[in-house]
This record gives sequence, C-alpha cells and structure tokens, in this order.
Amino acid sequence: MTRAAPWLAAAAAMIAVAFLLKDFGYYSDQYRKLMLWVALALGFNFLFGIAGQVAFSHFAFYGIGAYAVVILTFKAGLPLGVAVVLGLALCAVLAIAVGIAATRLEGFYLALATMAFAQLFLVVLTEGGAVTGGAGGIANYRLPALELGGRRFTLTGPYYTSLIALVLLATFFVFWRLDRSYFGRACRAIRDNPEAAAAMGVDVARTKIVVFTVTSVLAGAAGMAYAFVDNIVNPPVFGLENVFLLLFMVIIGGSGRHAGAVVGAILLYMLPYVLTPLIGHHQALVFGIVMVAAMLFRPDGLVGVYDRLRARYGRGAA
Amino acid sequence: MTSVISRRLFGACAAAAVLAAGAAAAQDTIKIGVITDKTGTAKFYAEPVTEGSMLAAKIINAAGGVLGKKIELLIEDDQNKPDVSATVARKLVDAGVVFILSNTSTTATQQQQTVSLETKTPQLTPSNSGETLTTQIDNPYFFQTGPLFSYQINTLLAYTRAKQFKRVALMTDNSELGQLVARSFKAGLEKAGVQVIVEEVVQRGATSAVPQMQKVRAANPEAIFQAGVLGPEMVLFFRAYHQLGMKTPILGSYNLSIPLYLTMAKDLMDGIVIVDAYDREKPEVKAFEEQFQKEYGRPAFNLNAYGYDGVRLIADAIKRAGSLDKEKIRAAMQATKDFPATIGAKGMKYTFPPGKRTGFDPEGVVVRLIENNAHGRVVHAGQK
Repeated sequence: MTRAAPWLAAAAAMIAVAFLLKDFGYYSDQYRKLMLWVALALGFNFLFGIAGQVAFSHFAFYGIGAYAVVILTFKAGLPLGVAVVLGLALCAVLAIAVGIAATRLEGFYLALATMAFAQLFLVVLTEGGAVTGGAGGIANYRLPALELGGRRFTLTGPYYTSLIALVLLATFFVFWRLDRSYFGRACRAIRDNPEAAAAMGVDVARTKIVVFTVTSVLAGAAGMAYAFVDNIVNPPVFGLENVFLLLFMVIIGGSGRHAGAVVGAILLYMLPYVLTPLIGHHQALVFGIVMVAAMLFRPDGLVGVYDRLRARYGRGAA
Repeated sequence: MTSVISRRLFGACAAAAVLAAGAAAAQDTIKIGVITDKTGTAKFYAEPVTEGSMLAAKIINAAGGVLGKKIELLIEDDQNKPDVSATVARKLVDAGVVFILSNTSTTATQQQQTVSLETKTPQLTPSNSGETLTTQIDNPYFFQTGPLFSYQINTLLAYTRAKQFKRVALMTDNSELGQLVARSFKAGLEKAGVQVIVEEVVQRGATSAVPQMQKVRAANPEAIFQAGVLGPEMVLFFRAYHQLGMKTPILGSYNLSIPLYLTMAKDLMDGIVIVDAYDREKPEVKAFEEQFQKEYGRPAFNLNAYGYDGVRLIADAIKRAGSLDKEKIRAAMQATKDFPATIGAKGMKYTFPPGKRTGFDPEGVVVRLIENNAHGRVVHAGQK
C-alpha cells in the first residue's frame, strides 16, 4: 500500500494536469509530446546510461511501434488490442535479432550497426509503397472505439492524454524496478567492466540482449501512443536527428539516473519553444553552446550539479 | 549567486509580461499564422517564401488592410519537424488566427492538417507540391496552390515530346523530397511510355558522384532527368557530368530554379532546362520584383512570389467572406476563381475547381533555359 502510494499520487497528478489543460490545445499537445519524450529518454537512459550500450535505434523502434499499430489496425483490419500485442511482439523479435548481432559488436560498432538499422527502417518506410504510405506516411485514421463491458467509448482529449501519462508511468515503473533488481546491478556491472561482470557470474551476452529488447519494446509502446496524437505517421519524425536529441537529453540531465533523463528531456524539449520567442532562430546556437559547455564542465549532468549543491549546502542547512 | 539568478529570472518574467501585454493590446488586427522553417533542413525553401508573405502583408496594410483592419502575421518556426509543426499550428489556433499559411515542407504541412481539420481553421500552402496533400486527408479546410509534381513532370514531358526520348536516366538523392520527386517523375515517364533504363542516387554527404555517372554513361540514355533536391550532392552530379565529358541533355526538377545553385554550381548548368513556375516577363512579376527590391534591397526569385501570392489569396478570401468567421473564410477560399497569380505562366489565374482544393492551373508550369549562369527565358508553358 505505502509502496504504491507515490505511484498513484504521480498518476493522479499527471491525469489532473491533463484535465487542467483540456481547453488549451497548444499546451495539451505540448504535454502529450513531452511525456512521450520523457518515456523515450527513460528507456534510452537505461540502455545508454545504466547498461552502457550506445545504440541509435531507439527512434526506429518508436517508429516501428507507431507504424505497426496503424498498419495492423487500419490496413490489415485487426482489432486494436491484437494490433498492439502483435506490434509489441514485432518490436521484441526485431530487437532480439538486432540484439543478438549487437552482442558480437561493442561500443563504436554497436553504434554503427544500430545506426544502419535506423537508416534501413527509414528506407523501408519511404519505399514501402501503399503499406507504409511512402514519404507522405499514413494519415486519415482515428483511434477506434474501445469496447469494455459491452460499452463503447473513444479516448479523446484529456482521456487520451491520461492514457499517455499511464504509458509513461508504466515505462518509468518498469525501469525503476529493473534498476533496483539483480538485473539492474548486472547492467551497471557490464557497463563498468564487462570482464569483471562475467567473472562474477553475470551472463553478459544475455543481459545485453534483454536490456536492448526491453528498452526497444517500451520505445515501441510509446510509439503506439504517439500514432494517435496527431493521427498521422510519417518518416521524418523517426529519423536519426531525434535520436541525437535523445542522447543529449540523457547527457544534459545526467546519464545513468532516472531523474536525469526526466530533467534532460523536459529541458531540451522546452528549450526551442521558450527561446524562439526571445531570440528567434539563434536558439539553435544556444543549444549548441549549452551542449558543449555541459560536456566540458558537467559530464555528470544537471543531476550531478544538484548532488554537489546538496552535498555542499544541504546538510548545513538541515 | 542565487540573488543574481533570481534577479535575472525576474527580469525575464517581466519582459515576458510586457510582451504578453503588447500582444493583448493589438487585438484589432486580423491574425494570420505563418509556419516556416528557420532552423531545419527546409529553411532554404521556407524562409524565402515567408519573406514574400511578409511583403504582401506590408503592401496590403499600406493600402488600408482588409475589412478596415490591418493584417498581423504570427510567424512560427517548426524546425521542419512534422510533430513540432502540428504543435505550433495549435499554438497559432490558440492565439486566434483566422488562417494558417504553411510555408514549410510537405510532410510538416501534412501533419498540421490534423490541427486545421480538428479546429476547423482554414489552411493554405502556397508552395508545397506534394501530390497527395489534398487527397490523403478529406480536410475541407486545407488548400494548396503550389504546382503539383505531376504538372511539373507532364510539362517537362510535353516539352520533350518533340524529341521522342524512349530511354532515359533518372538521377536523385536519398532525401525524402528527392525520393518523392523521383517517384513522381518515374510514374509520369512510364505512363508516357518512356523507359527509365538507369536510376542512380547520390547519398547525402557523398564526396563524389562520378561512380553513379559512369553507370549512367554506360547505359547510354537519351536524356537525364534530374530529381535531386540536396544542393551539395547535386553539385557533385553536375561536376561529375562535366568531368566525364558527357553531352546527354539534362532536364532538371523544379528544385534547380533556386538561385543558390547558380553560385554553388557556377557555370556547370548552362544549357540545362528546368521546370519552373515563374516567368520574369510577366507584368505581375515585374511589379512584384520591383516592390521586393525596394523592401529587401536584393532581387526577388520564384520562392518569394509563392509566399506573396499566399497572403494575397488569404486576404482576398477574407475580403470576400466579409467577416472573420473561419467557416465563411473557408467557403470564400474554396470559391476563389480567376485570382491573378504572380506565380505561373503568363496570364495564369488561381481557381479551385468544384470539389477540388488544388488551385494551381495545370497549364501554369513553364520550362526555362539556364543560360550564361542565369535562369533565363521561358521556352515552353503548359502540359500540351
């Protein structure tokens, strides 16, 4: 009961925000897309920050989830629930396939292999003809009505925003639990020293495949939620540009820390929207300077800054 | 340290408050939202279009505005990211715009349609050529006045019909737009019974296009259709063409009409014919170019005129609607008939045929010759 309380409180707060924003189209849209970015950043942080794997396929899996649910529901005519399950299974199968190959590759080569996978995915999307809709993507669909206990209802407006909040919380919960388990410690051990981890009895190859699969499937789940935000899926959103933004989010926030991923995602998502009215297109320049400064002076990110401030002043004040 | 930060924060908040107050005071205007790309990959197309839009608003306001009110353009940067584009469209709708003008890329415009359809806000793209923009979503609020790809290829085919090409090469790059143009070119060529015997792609970031051009040369096509849109990569294509001493005629996509190519690929493009929708000998263009020169102190080119026409079309629709009711403005835009265009062949007029939301005259595309490193005279107009 007490352990569930913070999670329930967070869910209640996030859903409350969804309903508070319901009459503000712009802020609701920002809130939805921001939550999806946070979900992606949490997964990427687990993969990169905790398990130490540099992979650039995160947005590709986000896209596979989004496209899979749309194609299976609206082109293949499957019920939404079946499409969701099949879409997640597809993400898992592809992640395992890439993951098995990736365990033979490390560091730089894993990055290249996953980058190639992400590029290949974009090619499949643009060359996919009627199935993927090519460069224009797929549009003109709506979230089908759900049937529960004989009643049909459609999730729209704040109700759909709430669903995204729950997807985000579920993602956070999975990573939070994993991090605090044997599996999480094994991941950190592999990140810091794979040989030592193997000597301690950690199955390095299997752990790597599992962590890649879990993070990829959850990225796919977030992608499914994204598919019904603007009711359109098209290739550019799932390109490499966004993966680098994700990497920056995790590094700026504090790699290897859940709070870091959340803070980094919120900050970098909001940055262009806040800066553009003030300094116009120079926001891109500010973004670059902030990134370089962060790498140079604070490689442990904003959460690292917070830790230091607390260590210096926190105890004295308390 | 903390006090400095809080003082600055206070300053920023105060500045924001002043800005907000300023916006609130300017209620007596007609707000038109403009979505452009200031920082992304479509910047070089979107920004010139937006310059034209700003000029049109200025000219209309100087002449008294519309319905006795001044036009106010609210300009948003979408970074050419489709999801961001939809978000800023919502921002504009919340800010009370009566129309959204999308000067950004085709995919971004497409994603904005989610917002225009949902919020019943009329939306126009003056420059996008995407073939399916008005057909993929049944959105009565969306209008397109850019020249469709099919018009472009058909005009190019009409021009080359006399030459009886049967076997041609197709050259593009791996950008989304380049792929899109290549696909519609290929479809048009095949429909006309012309065989594409070799297709080559220059990858983004390539350092040479010689291998691709060697393959093209080996296949010995009668002409090369060029569909790429990435500037540096297309310069590689022209350079390889000259390096290999090729003489095969090149028929270029619309993209080559952007003046930047004349500096990037200086003297490499003479003799190429390109598709365009701009004729400098038109009286409307002469008048437009004069005003543009006066405003910006440099010569105008085709992209500027798209944005210029976009705002003029919207202002005309609002005037005919006689009110700021979005539904009435939408109906007025749909009823646009014979509105004189700056863009297009001599005498071209914008009309939305019944049941259609593409307003560019299918006969309005032209073919121009590049001579003396300049976009020269019109050598052909229309699809016939």
